[in-house]
Amino acid sequence: MASYLAKRLLLIVPTLLGVASLVFVIMRVIPGDVALLILGGDQGSHIDPQQLAAVRQQLGLDQPLIVQFGVWMWGLLHFDLGTSLWTGRPVVEELLIRLPLSLELAVLATMISVLISIPLGMLAAVRQDTWVDYVVRVVSIGGLAVPSFWVGILVILFLVLFFGWGPPLLFTPPWEDPWANLQQMIWPVVTVGYRYAAVTTRMTRSTLLEVLREDYIRTAWAKGLAQKAIVIRHALKNAMLPVITLIGTEFAFLIGGLVVTETVFTLNGVGRFVVDAVAHRDYPVVQALVFLIAFGFVLVNLLVDLTYAWFDPRIRYQER
Amino acid sequence: MAMAFPRPRFHRIGILLVLLVVSTTVTPLEGGAAETPRRGGILLAVIGAEPPSLDPHQESTFANIQLVAPLYSTLLQFDPYAFPKIIGDVALDWKIAPDGKTYTFKIRSGIRFHDGSPLTAADVKASYDKIVFPPQGTRSTRKAAFSSVERIDAPDPVTVVFHLKFASASLLPNLASPWNVIFPKKYLDKDPNHFKMNVVGSGPFKFKTYTRGGMFEGERNPDYFVKDRPYLDGYRFFISTETSVRAAAIRSGRAYIEFRNLPAPEVEAIKKQLGDKIAVQETPVTAHWGISVNNTVKPFNDVRVRKALTMAIDRYTASRVLYPLTGLKHIGGLIRPGSADWALPQAELEKLPGFWRDAEKSRMEARRLLAEAGYPNGMKVVLKNRNIRLPYQDWAVFVIQEWRKIGVEAEHRPLETAAWFADGQNTGNFELIISPPVEYMDDPDVWLGRYTTGSTQNWGRFSDPRLDDLFSRQARTLDPAERKKLTDELQRIALENAYYMPGLWWTRNLVHWAKVKNYVAPPNYYSNQKLQDVWLAED
Repeated sequence: MASYLAKRLLLIVPTLLGVASLVFVIMRVIPGDVALLILGGDQGSHIDPQQLAAVRQQLGLDQPLIVQFGVWMWGLLHFDLGTSLWTGRPVVEELLIRLPLSLELAVLATMISVLISIPLGMLAAVRQDTWVDYVVRVVSIGGLAVPSFWVGILVILFLVLFFGWGPPLLFTPPWEDPWANLQQMIWPVVTVGYRYAAVTTRMTRSTLLEVLREDYIRTAWAKGLAQKAIVIRHALKNAMLPVITLIGTEFAFLIGGLVVTETVFTLNGVGRFVVDAVAHRDYPVVQALVFLIAFGFVLVNLLVDLTYAWFDPRIRYQER
Repeated sequence: MAMAFPRPRFHRIGILLVLLVVSTTVTPLEGGAAETPRRGGILLAVIGAEPPSLDPHQESTFANIQLVAPLYSTLLQFDPYAFPKIIGDVALDWKIAPDGKTYTFKIRSGIRFHDGSPLTAADVKASYDKIVFPPQGTRSTRKAAFSSVERIDAPDPVTVVFHLKFASASLLPNLASPWNVIFPKKYLDKDPNHFKMNVVGSGPFKFKTYTRGGMFEGERNPDYFVKDRPYLDGYRFFISTETSVRAAAIRSGRAYIEFRNLPAPEVEAIKKQLGDKIAVQETPVTAHWGISVNNTVKPFNDVRVRKALTMAIDRYTASRVLYPLTGLKHIGGLIRPGSADWALPQAELEKLPGFWRDAEKSRMEARRLLAEAGYPNGMKVVLKNRNIRLPYQDWAVFVIQEWRKIGVEAEHRPLETAAWFADGQNTGNFELIISPPVEYMDDPDVWLGRYTTGSTQNWGRFSDPRLDDLFSRQARTLDPAERKKLTDELQRIALENAYYMPGLWWTRNLVHWAKVKNYVAPPNYYSNQKLQDVWLAED
């Protein structure tokens, strides 16, 4: 187990190096210049070429690409994510403003969806082709088919039109004012959680259906075991492996991938930060965030793999 | 011998016109003068962007100035009730030498910055030195506007003197720019970039908090130098880039005002839901959406092709069709129609290519010109654009339809802002590109400089010595009538040669709850943001 873990941890290094190189190159290839955007203002005002050159120099954009890459990698090695070209503030500082919100949203949406989707998926599988199954399938297909941002806009319009009420515009951390936090977070959590739950419900249903057709389950039925014991103790545990993978991947995605939902609900999260940074050609921010999100994915995947062993004792990560 | 600044008679006409427009379109102010201002309350606003930094000297986005203008004072300012009239802010009065090369300002005494230190002429000088002669490592977005300034002196604590290399017709309006705020010298001495992340002003409000990407907040300055102002206890801007979210914030009462613009459909929905609780000020804007033509590439270096393209656009129909959707409304040349000081008279405009009243006749002439230039069967062009729907893409779609009528097939290529900007401004990698000039005032210096050789705003990269000469002369001419002759001539030459294709001039909808009193929307979204006279009828 230890050697497996060490190997997996070591593999993280080339993966992240690849991601770092790729995002660095991509950001340099796409047209656009942060210095022009800074000086140009809303629609492009008077830009003095000397000022433009000075700003580029100030931001280090006049350096050869290899030097810029080296500086960035050196900073990463020292846990320094650099400074935003757009705001002049350390990337870490900017990130810390937004990370709590994104984490809260991801954790709450994951919790809600897991709590709803696994029982629903089980129910649909056990009651296959009954009205219960049909209702669950229709609701879950709806969650997959309808984009989250559209649900979000509908939710806001519904609240505004029928109750004259809109969610608060400023994020209040739960430890400061739980009620204000709940007012703001409940709708995005429901919106995101719905889609997330839909995916997980369908996965739980289909994998459970597969497992329920296995020979050992038939044997369990023949032995006269109670349905509850068969489904929960024997079938569900084995059906959970792909579901866990899905939950892990979705959780990692939620940290940085909720751009539109964050925009719709005026949430100052990591997703919006990434997109704004791309639009501004704020290289250090994009590089740092993509790097961190990739790191998050790799870590979650590792945790998921390690969790497999708990769910399925046949899986042991040992050298052969 | 010194003389008081002679207000041009054109300015008076302009002021009257602006007042007329405002009085006919603005409903919330009706009876406002008779109401007794109420003290207290926090003005809640929504804003659609976040600034790179807090230093107005270094920025040129509304996202900066709308947030920080209430925190600062300026030397002069545009009258909040009568744009573009210029009045003092920290300047008590001023005199101009007869040769127009020395401006002497007297500073009000008793003004204090929010840190308690007094505001003196030395602070004004230090602030303008930073703008006009930016130190190494500091950018100054408006440095070019002060190219006439030789040096600035502060001979005593209440006197500031601007010495010019040559007389400048636009110096006063440039000094009234909302961006040119006064910083305390002691901070600039230590770090000229101090105010990118810090705020110490002398305005009606003091900085309170700023949550990046979320909220910006100011609170009442009890020691403000204007007696009994401000009325508000504070103001709070919520930042949201999504238009529908800002509209929903207004509808739900989470915000009372959006200072820039909301699209007409959103405005109608808000009015329908909230009725007389809401007020809309529709104002003209010192902005228009036009098309830059790359004069350096074939076939656009041929004046006949450029003229044909501009003559194919029926601007009168465009105004009728696009106004309800986009706010693009007014037909004008290179300076805002309605700015009676400097805009070309309508009758004269209608004789120029692209402005004929008879659209069919104009199209026939366009076809003839294309044939003469060697394109009897039309041609294919690429029109680059910014990937923003309102009004960029709506304008482009209309133009493409118009060009099709003369056999020109245009491929519409919307680009992300950074790429659009790089192609248009920096590399010139385009044939035709939608480009909207937006300014904070109507002065010809800011509007016509873009038609001179080598200007970074000259996206079309054309060069006409006549334009350069006329621009240079008008910039140094203090007699408004003479200056008007020169600017008219410049506009005529530029339009006759179709170096650039002006589109339509914009109007905007400033939407606010009716309980927000005493705010007059100027024809831009940069000035009149100090909020010192604004009050709330209820919380």
